[in-house]
This record gives sequence, C-alpha cells and structure tokens, in this order.
Amino acid sequence: MAVWDVIRQWKLQEKDYQVIDHQAIREITLGASILATGGGGDPEIGLLWTYKVLDEGKPIVMVDPMKVPDDVLVASMACLGAALVLTEKPPSEGVLNRAIVKLETYLGAKLQATIPIECGGVNSPVAYAAAGELGVPVIDVDGMNRAFPELQMTSWVTHGIHASPTVSADDRGNVTVIDTGSDDLLAETICRQVAMAYGGISWIATYPMYGKAVKDTSILYSQSIAWAVGKAVWEAREKHLNPVDQVIKSLRNERSVEGFKVFKGKIVDIHREFGSETTKGFTLGRITMEGFDSDKGRTAMLDFQNEWLNLVVDGRVRCMPPDLIAILDSETGEPIRTDIMKYGYRGTILLIPAHERMRTAKGIQIFGPRHFGYDLDYQPVEKLNKDVERRGA
Amino acid sequence: MKKNSKETSLRVGFDVGGTFTDGVLMSGKNVLAKTKAITTGDVTTGIVNALDQLLKSTMADKSRIEMVSLGTTHTTNAIIERRNLNKVGIIRLGAPATTAIPPLTGWPEDLKEAISGPQNVFILRGGSEYDGRDIVPLDEKAIAAACRKMKGKITSLAIIGVFSPIITDHEDRAARIAREILGDEVHITLSNRIASISILERENSTILNASVIGVMRQAVNSLRTAVKDRGINTRLFIVQNDGSVMSADYAVDYPIFTMASGPAASVRGAVYLSGIDNGVVVDIGGTSTDVAYIVNGFPRESSITVTIGGVKTNIRCPDLLSIALGGGTIIKQKDGRVCALGPESVGYNLVRLAKSFGGPLLTVHDLAVANGTLQERLDVFDTDFVADLEKVKQVPEAVIRQGETMVRQTLEAAIDKMKTTAELVPAIFIGGGALVVPRKGIGGISEIVLPEHFEVGGAIGTTIAEIGAFAEGVFDLDQDDRDESIARTIEQAKDNAELSGAVRSTVEVIDIEEIPFTYMPGKREKVRVRVKGSIFKEGH
Repeated sequence: MAVWDVIRQWKLQEKDYQVIDHQAIREITLGASILATGGGGDPEIGLLWTYKVLDEGKPIVMVDPMKVPDDVLVASMACLGAALVLTEKPPSEGVLNRAIVKLETYLGAKLQATIPIECGGVNSPVAYAAAGELGVPVIDVDGMNRAFPELQMTSWVTHGIHASPTVSADDRGNVTVIDTGSDDLLAETICRQVAMAYGGISWIATYPMYGKAVKDTSILYSQSIAWAVGKAVWEAREKHLNPVDQVIKSLRNERSVEGFKVFKGKIVDIHREFGSETTKGFTLGRITMEGFDSDKGRTAMLDFQNEWLNLVVDGRVRCMPPDLIAILDSETGEPIRTDIMKYGYRGTILLIPAHERMRTAKGIQIFGPRHFGYDLDYQPVEKLNKDVERRGA
Repeated sequence: MKKNSKETSLRVGFDVGGTFTDGVLMSGKNVLAKTKAITTGDVTTGIVNALDQLLKSTMADKSRIEMVSLGTTHTTNAIIERRNLNKVGIIRLGAPATTAIPPLTGWPEDLKEAISGPQNVFILRGGSEYDGRDIVPLDEKAIAAACRKMKGKITSLAIIGVFSPIITDHEDRAARIAREILGDEVHITLSNRIASISILERENSTILNASVIGVMRQAVNSLRTAVKDRGINTRLFIVQNDGSVMSADYAVDYPIFTMASGPAASVRGAVYLSGIDNGVVVDIGGTSTDVAYIVNGFPRESSITVTIGGVKTNIRCPDLLSIALGGGTIIKQKDGRVCALGPESVGYNLVRLAKSFGGPLLTVHDLAVANGTLQERLDVFDTDFVADLEKVKQVPEAVIRQGETMVRQTLEAAIDKMKTTAELVPAIFIGGGALVVPRKGIGGISEIVLPEHFEVGGAIGTTIAEIGAFAEGVFDLDQDDRDESIARTIEQAKDNAELSGAVRSTVEVIDIEEIPFTYMPGKREKVRVRVKGSIFKEGH
C-alpha cells in the first residue's frame, strides 16, 4: 500500500496534509530535540534513516489529526533502551517492520498510520522513517510534546489508553509480544528487560489505538509545534538572530504560550550518581551553572533523570515536571543534552509550559514532582516565574 | 638573540598557517632563531624554505638537533580539496544490525567519488554487543570474499566493528584476514584506534583517516629526506589535536589526529612560554580572537562533533571560543559615541584602511596607537609601518576611552564564558593582536602574561617533547571493581602513549572521565583516561 492510497481513502484535501522533505524533517527533529527537555538522544541516526527512506523515493506525509477517520488502526514506533547503545548500533533495515507485522498479526488488523511517541532526537524522526517504509502517513500528534524516560508517561495513558500490546524486536529477527492489559508500568518494566536481553536497545511497535482515541487523548499538533520551533532556530542561524528569542516567538504563535528565558550561564559542576533502584538505572544527577552576562553572580541547579527535571535558581524553584526545561547553546540554539553535557558548556535556560493534556490531575500523579521523589506540590511554570514574565522576552 | 649554551640540545619546530609557515630553532626555552616563510600549495616546500632560513640565520651545530616537529595542515587541505586521496575500501562489521544506515550516508558526493567509496562498501556479519557478546559470530568467509573483490582497486582499507572500542576482537581478526589477501601495500585502519563510541562518527573518522594515509606518508617522507639532506639526523614529530606530539612513524598511520594541529600548538606554545598550566589562553589575531581554557597544560576538549570536509566526525579537538575581535576590528561610531565593535575587520588591509596609517577607519589597533601602548615596530605585521599620529589625534579622547572599555568588556565576557571556576585565573595573551588590546582592568583574571616570542608561539609549541594518548573502556560496576577497571584503562592508555613515541616511565595521567550509560539498568559506565609522557628519558 502506498501512502497516497491512504490519503485518497481518507478523502483528504491538500490542506489536510503536508509532504515531508529533507529540510522539513531536519527542522522537525531540531525542534523536537529542543522540546525533549535534555533527553531524547542523538538526532543523527534517526535523521540519516529518514533521509535514506526519502532518497529511496518513498514519500513521507504528515496529516491533520482531526481528519483521521475514527475507525482506523494506528500505532507508535520507537526505539526503547540505552541511548548510548543506539549511537553504536544503528538499526537494521526492516527491524521496525518486523515489529509492525507481528503487532498486526496479534491484533488481526492492518496499521494505517504512525504516531510519534514523544519529542526527541531519536523517536521523532523514527516515526517518520517507519511511516515512509510502511507507506502510511504520520499523524500530527504525539504522546508527550516533550521526552520522558518511561513508556507509560504519556497523555495516552493519563486519558485511558494503554501501551498494550507492545511488540519488541531486535536486529537478529527476535520478536517479543508484551501484553499487560491495563498495567502500563508493568509493560514498561518488561519492555526495559527485553531491551537489555537484546543487547541494550529494542525497536517497538506500541500504543495501538483507533483514530477516535488519537483525537481524544493525544497531544494534538505536536509535530507542527516541533516544526515551528525547529524552523525558528534554523531561521535564527541564517539571519543571525537570537535563537532563544525566536523559539519563544514560535511557541507564542504556535501554542499561544509564553516561554521563560530565566538564566544564562555555564556548567561549573556535574554530579552524576547512579539510581538507588539498580533495576531502573537511569542517569541521575545534578548540575550547577554559574551565570554570566546579565545573570552574573546567580547560580542555577538542575536535577536530571535522563531529562532535566527540576530547576532551582538562587534557592528558588523555577520549574517542576512535567513543565519543560531546555538549555540551549546561546549562539546556535542547539540543545544541551544530559547525556553529552560537559563542564564549561554555555547556554541559556528556557522554560516552557507543558501541554494542557500533560497537566491533568492524573498526569501530575504519573509524571509530576512527587513521582520523581520531590516533596513538592506541582506548580505551573507560569506561576513560578511571574517576575520573569515582567522582565519580558 | 641569545647564545646557545653548549650542554643543551636543540629542537626545530614549524607551524603551518594559512598564510605563513613559522619556524623556530630552540635551545630549551631560548629562541635561537625564528622565521616566517610563505605557506606553499604543497605545504612541504614552505616548511623546507623555513628550515633553510633557520639554518642560514644561525651558526647552530646541526648534530645537536634532537627533534624536528611540526603542526601541519597537510591532511586537512587534502580532505577539503579532495586531492591525492587514497582509494578506500570500507568493511563494517555489524550485520544484521546497522544496515538501515550504510557507510558514507550523508557524505558529499565529490568526496565519496574522490575515495572511490561507494563501489567498495561492505556491511558484513559481526560486531559486539555493549557487554561483550557477539551480535552474531564474525563471518570470516565473507571478509575474505570482500577483500578478494577489492584487491587491486583500493590502496587503503577501513574496518569498523560495532562496539570495537570496547572489544577489538572482531576488528583484529578481520584485519588479519585482510592483510593476508591484500598484502602489505594496502594500509589498514582499525576504528578502535581512531575514536570512541558512536559508530557513524567513528566510521567517518576512520574512513577519512584511511583516505589521507598516502598524503601523510608523502609529507613525512619528503620532510625526512629534506632534513637528512641538510645533515640533520634526528627524529621527526607531528603535533596532534590536543597539542601534544606523536612520532612521525605513528602519524603516518593516524594522520586524522593532526586535524586541529595548528590551534592546539598555539595553546601549548603559550603554556610553555609562560610556564602557566591552568588558566586561559587568549590568541588575538587580526579579525578574531580564540579563547581556550587550559587544564594541566592542555586545552580543554570539546565533545561537540567536528565536521571535516563536510563529514561529521568524533575526533577530539580543543574547546575554542571564537569571537569577532582582533587588531583590525572596526570601531563603529554614531553621533560622536562608540556604538559597536565590529564584527567587521579590516583584516590584511590594516595598513591601508586604519586611521593610524592614514586610512579612514578607526580600529582596535588605532586605540593602542592613540594611548601610546604601541610604540615599537611590530614585525608580526610584516611591514615597516610609520604611524600617522595626526589622524589618530583627531579622534576625541572620549571615543578612545569608550572603545577601550568595550574591548575590555568583550574580552572579559569571552574569558568568563570559558572559565569553570569563579576564582581568578591567569590569562596568557598571544597572537599578532596581543599587543594592541588593553591589558589592564579586565575582570575575572589574576594577571595577564604576554610571553616573549608570542608571535611564533605555535611553532614553539611544537617543540615541547610531550606525547599525549588516551584509552577507553566500558565497565559494569555491579561486577567489575571500579578501581581495577580504571587501573586497567590507565595501563591501556600508557601502552598507547608508548606506541606513539613516549618513554613509558615518564607517562602520567592527565585526567579520568567516567560517563554512565543512560536508559539502561545496572551500573555501567564508560571510563576514558588521558595520559601524557615524554619523548626523552629524563632531564628534558
């Protein structure tokens, strides 16, 4: 099946979809890396994969979620496992396809579109590459509009959709079906163990759902948001504008939210510690940044668990999960990730309100400050930075 | 010029720049002779010219020359110009994994063509998992078949195995098979010797290394001959990216390690001349200034990917902050007040355009003339300029002061960005523009040192007889003892230092880095050890 047949079947008009070319996926991935909140992994591999799919003449098309028929089956394709292993062991051709075919067999129905799971350097482009390979469209949504460390941390779960069944595949042809019903935490635990047994990473087809559920439970237009952010940075580089200001402007236009430029400084201390739960094994730690320019004399502390979690500036909490923290290189706008940061890195901290669908009571319970071990009640970033807002971006 | 003392031996160093090739003849820290020759298209001729000028200008006893070393652009030029590159065969050991992104994906077409890459690419079954297991057993038959296919078509071979920086076994075995079939005339580069985890960037680095083997061999051979012809019997060394040197014998196998040779040599020269091991080096040129942070005598490394000739690599290079400020930077005014510094510079046209030479534009250079800091003739500009003080005198004093304040603030901000400590650190100023910027009232630093011979700092930096090397390992701290794991990596790094020309007993650790694996259960981490050692036994 080719993607154009799907477009025709769904009776889509030209305004209902966008054709993704090299530059488009470059911009979407850059924007997604910024929204990834310090996590999401190295964009290089996902990008090269997508380029290859495009170079082979396979079209990639992104469609408006509200135009997707209620009864079509879709699912998410992603890489789950250690980011560092992925940078050393890129995927094989057809690995996602094997996961998809198995999922289709298990469900007894064909998938008609892909939905990206998160905004991240790896999993954003992977959803596009998979769609291109499969000949189906990508839907302009995702489950987070940021990156999170665990499978169940999605708006889908907080709105009643489950990660089961998930099919996990490796490059040698192994596939594992994980069906834990409504226990999404267990699905995450098993998937993580399977990835380990495979050799550190796995390729999953997950969150099968119907078009109706996509509309009701996803972060709608998440891809367009990432694209706008990426475009803004791209343009800032070309016109020598301030990339951080351009990101703020793009979020204002695309999402009608205000980002907060709260700190400019350099990393002066990195304290990494291993999680007490060795079975989870996330990268835990804290960095200290010292301000320069207008922030000279101020100190920022950020905790991280793969992604940035929490920001404290001069003793005052400025951001808690699920709100977004991005540290951007002040000149290039390139995000500084927790897995590659080093002493001396220089950047501007930008805070972005999480999407409304991530801020429900159930969302705060599953990925709010208490879930990550903070004895804090969630307060939105807008409230924590009222004074910054007056300073204006 | 100082007299050479009889006991000390002599060292010759060259720094190949875009315009000039600098040369020095050193006796310890004493500069016996220095010269600037025009850099030639083939690079080698420029170096030989500089050598001849050095030998002519001094009565030094050639037999006492114990080291000739250079910072060079041979390999960078060859890759950028796609000139004289080897025909490269590429074997990746990783199938059935990794096939979605084959080697050379994302490379510029002309560079792919220049190395005849696309015809000689093989992804074969093999490679390791992060924990040392085979992905699948190594397909030795397929390796032999691939080599037979490439025989006669390639002059250099790159072998890249998944997780080879941790387990070299599959790459080693593949190399043995290739050697048997292809013989000694085809050079073999193994990726585990080139760079660390991140296969696509390591693969690119390995292929680029394989592509400039011929260029480096040619350069080393002709320099060796030139040196020998002039009656100098000594070892040849080449500066690598961290500013330390490696023996030429080693460099012919690892030419890619010379990509950042130039700036690294400048930083090391500054360290050597000033005797300061920790602080910032500010290299001020005509149009821009590079700031490097030095830790224990070496520039801090950048871990951002480095693009060479349009290809992304993970070669380690110094972390440099470049700002648009130099001697020729134009000071813009509006309504009698300074409104901006640059970013434009008059560059090489300083003597035609700057106010102190009678030109129309006010530059950073002119500030120094106006306030009297610049009085001596500067041979770094290679010109016999006569300052036209009349024009400078017409500039209002307030403008001069504002300009100076702005230069000072710009330098202070750049230095502050590179510092990782709130404490005051010393700053070493080098480069042609070092004399023209204000050296008082810059915050964040304890002192400014302007070493002698700062204008040939790069060439002097090449004569420091220090070898640098590194090693990496991945460990599971649930099973492996941490101290033992680190000790093992240190030994490996020392082996590598010895291979590149160091005396083992002199090798010491520069730093140890531990990076945990993300998104993975257990306590796995990567350990990276950097070491340095001396070329000579002791007393040097």
